[in-house]
Amino acid sequence: MRKIFNYLVPTLFAFGTLMSCDGDGKEMDPDIKDPNKTLMTKFDNKVFSIPSPVQTSMLIKQLNLPFYSDILNDAGNVSGYSTKSAQALNLGLYGTDLGYSALYNESSYSLKYLSAVQKLSKKLGLSGAFDKSFMKRVEDHLSNQDTLMMLVSDAFMQGDMFLKNANRKSDAALILAGGWIESMYILSEINIKKATPRIVERIGEQQWTLVSIIDLLSEYNTKGANDELIGDLHDLQFYFDKIESKYTYVEPTTDVENKTTMLNHKLEIKIDTDILNQISMKIRSIREKITN
Amino acid sequence: MKLKLIYSFCIVLLASMAFSQDCEQIARDCSKYLEGKAGEKKFISDGQVYTAFLDREKAEFKTTLYGGSTYRIAASVGRKENYVIFTVKDSEGNVLFTNRKYKNAPYWDFEVANTIQVLLETELDTDFKVTGCAVMLIGFKQ
Repeated sequence: MRKIFNYLVPTLFAFGTLMSCDGDGKEMDPDIKDPNKTLMTKFDNKVFSIPSPVQTSMLIKQLNLPFYSDILNDAGNVSGYSTKSAQALNLGLYGTDLGYSALYNESSYSLKYLSAVQKLSKKLGLSGAFDKSFMKRVEDHLSNQDTLMMLVSDAFMQGDMFLKNANRKSDAALILAGGWIESMYILSEINIKKATPRIVERIGEQQWTLVSIIDLLSEYNTKGANDELIGDLHDLQFYFDKIESKYTYVEPTTDVENKTTMLNHKLEIKIDTDILNQISMKIRSIREKITN
Repeated sequence: MKLKLIYSFCIVLLASMAFSQDCEQIARDCSKYLEGKAGEKKFISDGQVYTAFLDREKAEFKTTLYGGSTYRIAASVGRKENYVIFTVKDSEGNVLFTNRKYKNAPYWDFEVANTIQVLLETELDTDFKVTGCAVMLIGFKQ
């Protein structure tokens, strides 16, 4: 009994200390007196960032291109995704399709993809982010694109936070990868239907994100589960490496009153048509493996 | 021996629980910065929460900011607003912005005409705080 007490008291003390260090922090942490002392190891050494697929849909909408429902993944496929990795990848994929449909005010498609997102998030234990109250709010704002985008992006953010806190970073990585692959697929398929210079440029701008996606999947590649996908993405990178880009630094300007900085640099991107075709074909094949 | 194992397990479990709760609350507080002023279009989250436990080191990550968008980058370690320093650099290492120059402002907007790959560095202002969970959020609007 005494032994238990000996361990229990310091445990509770340690817990109490940790819990008391709330978000406010201290005005001045006493440990600063010893600047060489390392208090704790880093929680998350590597941080990855993948741009939101919603931005791709926004660009397509801005270009006044029509809504192409035929390029999206059939919402009816959702029941066929039985493994955790297929569910996570397709959750990201359907999230992108949902964003694209919602931006075009295609309510019937939005509802179908919303239902697919909800089903997959439930299977992945993410029901909290896409619960009944979320569905109700979405249904109430189906015709309001801005609010809808906000709600869906916030729900994905909640899901991301939940997975990272639960140390399920591998699932979080696959959701992001699925979302990016679908946004790339939408871009390249639309460009095949209607060649658009701004879309070609946006495809070329994905070379850095592709590197982040490969790094992210490699970092959380539990038991080699992502090996095939990583291999395919490396093949894709081979073509992306042939894209020419020229960055020129120009000093930014800052408006302090409005807390805004204008980034004034220049960027030129050149993509050979053959390379663009190879990228489109490779993306199509990667996406097919995920959806089938 | 068994008791030692149980003790170690409890410590790790309770510490990670406390840390997760701390970070979650900070992320909720930080997300308010993406709302913007009343009457203005709100920033849409990029769907990710960037967290790092900082002591005296920097956390960094790369991201792409697309041309034709306005981004808001927000950082927080809790309810106090000015404890985090964040710096935005381009791929050549040029400093494009640091909030250190502006009293560690908890958020800043970036108007991006052409797409750019940036490196985001985050550190605690050790004048105020030397350790804690730092959360960064990125929002955008077009």
